Amino acid sequence: MKQQMTKIAAVVILLVCAQYSQAQKVYATKTGQIAFNASSPIEKIAAINNQTDSKFVGENGQVIFAVLIKGFKFENQLMEDHFNENYMESTKFPKADFKGYITNIKDVNFSKDGSYPVTLDGNLTLHGVTNKVTATGTMKVAGGAPEMEGTFKIKLKDYKVEGLYIGEKIAPEVAITVKCKYQ
Amino acid sequence: MKKIIISVLLLGLIGGASAYYYAFVYMKNRKFDMVNAEAASVDASVLVKAYQENETSANASYLDKVLLISGTVSATDQTQMGERTLTLSSEDPFSGVMVTLDSAEAAAVNVNDQVKVKGFCKGYLSDVVVTNAIIVK
Repeated sequence: MKQQMTKIAAVVILLVCAQYSQAQKVYATKTGQIAFNASSPIEKIAAINNQTDSKFVGENGQVIFAVLIKGFKFENQLMEDHFNENYMESTKFPKADFKGYITNIKDVNFSKDGSYPVTLDGNLTLHGVTNKVTATGTMKVAGGAPEMEGTFKIKLKDYKVEGLYIGEKIAPEVAITVKCKYQ
Repeated sequence: MKKIIISVLLLGLIGGASAYYYAFVYMKNRKFDMVNAEAASVDASVLVKAYQENETSANASYLDKVLLISGTVSATDQTQMGERTLTLSSEDPFSGVMVTLDSAEAAAVNVNDQVKVKGFCKGYLSDVVVTNAIIVK
C-alpha cells in the first residue's frame, strides 16, 4: 500500500513538473509573418515580412515582436523604394517592435489543442515613435505548438509617418496582420 | 498653332503612358539580377560581430547592400510562406546570419555545409537578416 502511494505521489509530482515546465517555456520564431495593408480605393498598397522575430513566455505572457522595415516585400519594387525612402525613412529607423503582454495568457492551455482568444497590451515603436497598442487575436494550439494570429489598425499620423499621398492613394489608417507559428 | 497643340498633347500622352508602364508594369515585373550583382564579400562571423559591436556603423556599411557571405550552415528551415532559410553560425552561439533563399534557388544545402550566399542585408534582430539570397558555387 505504502509503495503504491509513493508511486502515485511520484506520478503526480511528474505531471505537475511537466505542466510547470510547459508554462515556463519561451516560445520563439524567427520566421513569423507580419503584413500590412494601406490600400485605398485608388491603389493596392500591401506588403509582407516573413522574417519577424517573436518570443513569448508561456507563464506570464510577456511577448515581443521585432521586424526590419527593409524586410517588407511589395509586389512593386518602386512602391517598396518609396515606402522605405519617403515614408518610413528605414535607413534612419530600421526596426519596428511591439513589447508587451498577452494579458489573458492564463486562459490558454498549451497542453490542450484548441483556439483561444487572446488580448495583447503593450507599446508599439515604429518610425521612432512609441504608442500604446491593444490588440486582440487568437492563439491556436496544436500538438503543443502555438500559433498566434491577429489584426489591428494604426493611424500613420500617430507615428509621424508623413507623405504626399497619405489620405489619397495611401489609406491614413493601416491594418497590420500578425501570424506567427512558434516552436 | 493647331499642330503645336496636337504635338504637346501627343507628347503628354506618350509621357504619361511611359510613366505608367515604368511604375506599374516594368517595376512590378522586374526581377533583381542577383547572379550578376556586385557584392561585398564578408564572413558570417565578421558580419555578426560588426552588428553586435555597433549596429549603426554596421548598418552604414551593410544595410540593403548585396553581400557575398561565407559561413557554415548551422540550421535549415523555412518561412511560413515556404521559402527556404539557412542559419550561418558565428562565434556567438546565440546569434548568426539568417538567410532566406530566393524561391527559385534550388541548390541542396545541409547542416554543416560550408557555403557562400549572396543576398540583401536587411539589418539585425537576434540574427543578421539576409533575404532574396542565392547559393554561389
